[in-house]
Amino acid sequence: MEQVKRRPWRRWVLLGLLIVGYILGGRFVPVQPEITVAPEKLIEEPLFTLPVIGDFYLVNTMPTLILTVILLLIFAYAVNRSLKKSAQTDLVPRGIGNATEAILEVIYNMTEGAAGKWVRTVFPWFATIMIYVLFANLLKLLPGFESIGVLHHAHGEGHARELLAGNWYLFTAEEGEYILAPFFRGISVDLNFTFTLALIAVVAIQVVGFRAQGWGYLTKFFNFGGVFKKPVFGVIDMFMGILELISEFAKILSFAFRLFGNMFAGIVLVSVFGALLGKISIVPAAIYMFELFVGIIQAFVFGILTMVFMSMATQGHGGEEHAGH
Amino acid sequence: MEGSIMEAGRYVGAGLAMLGAAGAGIGVGLSALGALTGMARNPDTYGNLLSSMILGIAFSEAIAIYCLVISFLMLFKVV
Repeated sequence: MEQVKRRPWRRWVLLGLLIVGYILGGRFVPVQPEITVAPEKLIEEPLFTLPVIGDFYLVNTMPTLILTVILLLIFAYAVNRSLKKSAQTDLVPRGIGNATEAILEVIYNMTEGAAGKWVRTVFPWFATIMIYVLFANLLKLLPGFESIGVLHHAHGEGHARELLAGNWYLFTAEEGEYILAPFFRGISVDLNFTFTLALIAVVAIQVVGFRAQGWGYLTKFFNFGGVFKKPVFGVIDMFMGILELISEFAKILSFAFRLFGNMFAGIVLVSVFGALLGKISIVPAAIYMFELFVGIIQAFVFGILTMVFMSMATQGHGGEEHAGH
Repeated sequence: MEGSIMEAGRYVGAGLAMLGAAGAGIGVGLSALGALTGMARNPDTYGNLLSSMILGIAFSEAIAIYCLVISFLMLFKVV
């Protein structure tokens, strides 16, 4: 096999970007941003008002949501094209199709190990949630997120501004009267997104449980059958069922707050370290790299937990069920 | 006067909230301990154990993240 002489020009680009980042980090010191749990409003007035529910605002996670969905569609189209092309030529997947197939095969095998014959029901949920959350988590690390936006008048502390060019301003380190509402904010840093996804996941878990066991799925929660047969242990079983019912609702909260907490702590860490150590730009870069890792891990955790709970819901009580047959 | 007591309370509370990170640290250490013991006994299971270990670490680390969020919220006067 002949050796092709490689020209590693990409690492010079990387080094140049590092040096440019170092110089710019010294020239334009990042200011400490306004940290809010709720997404910032791009327009202060509500878009429209519904009678019971309340006002609707244009918040800055909505442009990101549109961007995420568009990117997912492009990704799906590219994978589809790549796989179709390989199916027409020599059946060897290449490029993005090959990479996606490898990842999906790993998690398919994992699902098959846990869910058994219900793998065809459980796997689409696992893969969909994992890929969606992965895109949502990684998109918030793009440069420009959380840093470019519209200026609002601050209600509390704010920053002074200086003119950059035209209609564009730059924050300075002095106190002032402006705060920033960025155009883009990662959607997993919005509690609405994570809570909705957790709600969908938990409802889907119940649906899979009902499909697998019929109405018998309810005996997991309302287990009164044993109360008269086994005086002591029957009552204990009943209370265990009620605890299971509570833990179903706790699942929603733990799903939602795990993802939101990790991602929110991520952006706060990045921005605080950027503001404190802006001139030593290697430390914020290291935090950034850690956030990349956390984003991938949390997407995987969200998916795998859905998968594990679903396969638990399909299996039912195990021992007692088999004793009954 | 009242404002400064509030401020002191915010800082003390933020510090106290981070106490929960101790539990998460114990949890991360225990999962690494278990995985390393398994790897030492049976080096072939390295890949399996590594992925399970990272998953377990992510779970225990989530607890520390909750504490971090609460402490950030107190520190930056969000709530």
